[in-house]
Amino acid sequence: MTDEFDIGKAIAGCVAGDRKALRMIYDHEAPKMLGVATRLLKRRALAEEAVQDAFVLLWRHAGSFDSSKGNGRTWLYAILRHRALNILRGESRLETSEEPIAENEPSEDDSPETIVSRLSDGQKLRHCLEGLEPQRRAAIVLSYAHGLSHSELAEKLGMPLGTVKSWLRRSLISLRECMG
Amino acid sequence: MIDRAPTAEDARDLLAAEYVLGLTEPADLPQVEAFIMRDSGFAAAVASWRARLAPLDSTASPATIDDRTWTGIEAALNEEAPLAAAAPAERQAQAQSRPQAPAPSAQTVPPIVPTPAIEPRAPTVSRPSIPQPSRQGFLAGLWNSLGFWRFAGLSGAFAAMLLAAGLGYVMREANRQPVLIAVLMSEGNQAAAVVNAFADGRADLLPLVDIQVPEGKAIEIWTLWDRAVGPRSIGLIQRAGRTTLKLEGLPRPKPGQIFEMTLESASGSPTGRPTGPVLNKGEATTAL
Repeated sequence: MTDEFDIGKAIAGCVAGDRKALRMIYDHEAPKMLGVATRLLKRRALAEEAVQDAFVLLWRHAGSFDSSKGNGRTWLYAILRHRALNILRGESRLETSEEPIAENEPSEDDSPETIVSRLSDGQKLRHCLEGLEPQRRAAIVLSYAHGLSHSELAEKLGMPLGTVKSWLRRSLISLRECMG
Repeated sequence: MIDRAPTAEDARDLLAAEYVLGLTEPADLPQVEAFIMRDSGFAAAVASWRARLAPLDSTASPATIDDRTWTGIEAALNEEAPLAAAAPAERQAQAQSRPQAPAPSAQTVPPIVPTPAIEPRAPTVSRPSIPQPSRQGFLAGLWNSLGFWRFAGLSGAFAAMLLAAGLGYVMREANRQPVLIAVLMSEGNQAAAVVNAFADGRADLLPLVDIQVPEGKAIEIWTLWDRAVGPRSIGLIQRAGRTTLKLEGLPRPKPGQIFEMTLESASGSPTGRPTGPVLNKGEATTAL
């Protein structure tokens, strides 16, 4: 149903200054983008901010996207992730220092195993992630989807920080060699 | 499944993977992002990791988004459109609730910044702290548009990210390494364009942010390698886009050589020297 939506064309519309093109991208992608941002940031308000910023940045930088060479969706989500990770890591926020982070407790829906199972069957990424040991698979998915840092991973997996780092690196090499 | 210790060759690729995963230590981010800007092979590695992991994004459950977010986006974009005041036709269109594409000149104009020109100009025109509104209302409009700076803090790193996020540039250039690069910065320390000089003597310029050129104007690109000779024009563009620089007859670019972009009249500077405001400027360094 959304198959006919051509994001490359819509980005080109943004370059030409067409707000309706931006709105079209919003209508098609914003709910999913908010899902991605919420998974990373946990807090709804921060996730909305990341989505909002991503669209402003998309509008401003649409001219540097080359639709003949790249995938518009990957580009859009790269912008979103970059923004969300900046919010998550670097930006000091006075108002958040006291509050508990987990406004939305991660549900079963967001467990690494569920996330992997949602990848489509034929997908190389799924095949290759499934070839990793469960804990290694979890580490990659938790960092990418939930934005866990090395030390958060170490805590979650009950391993020393140095071990997690080297172990994750090996997993990434395996993943790359599997995916080619 | 293969499980081996990382080799030296892996190290670069792992740096790229960790960057995409969001695992780069915040303290290391500026360096990694500078590396993306300087090294197209590394940028390509980042792009590959993005493509590999991107399917994970589609596993997120869509969340209901309310119109408040869209309203916020529109507000931010309107804030960025300080020239709207100079476009009454557009205003009128909006007043008549006939949604229209905003005047393109109003959106993505990068700041016209009064950085010092390559060559000091006559005192009356040199490095104005505020462009003279009577002479060029356009510049005044830009200067006053503080909305530009709302995202200034994101922009340097953001430019690096764009380079590594499916920009065709990266893939095309991955096996054609520049020997010399210059990152041209705006005064807000925003990376605004990259000059690449290749071993075969060619060079090109790739803007990283869109630059809307007002009617009757053009962007002229200059280089300065010897103050005794002065700056030479090496390109004139009507709008921001990748462009080949004309270096024929000039000495091979070398580290320390300055490149800059100025706003000139459509046919180029009348004097053969930069006369308009400096848009972006940078120094060549050896590519890694």
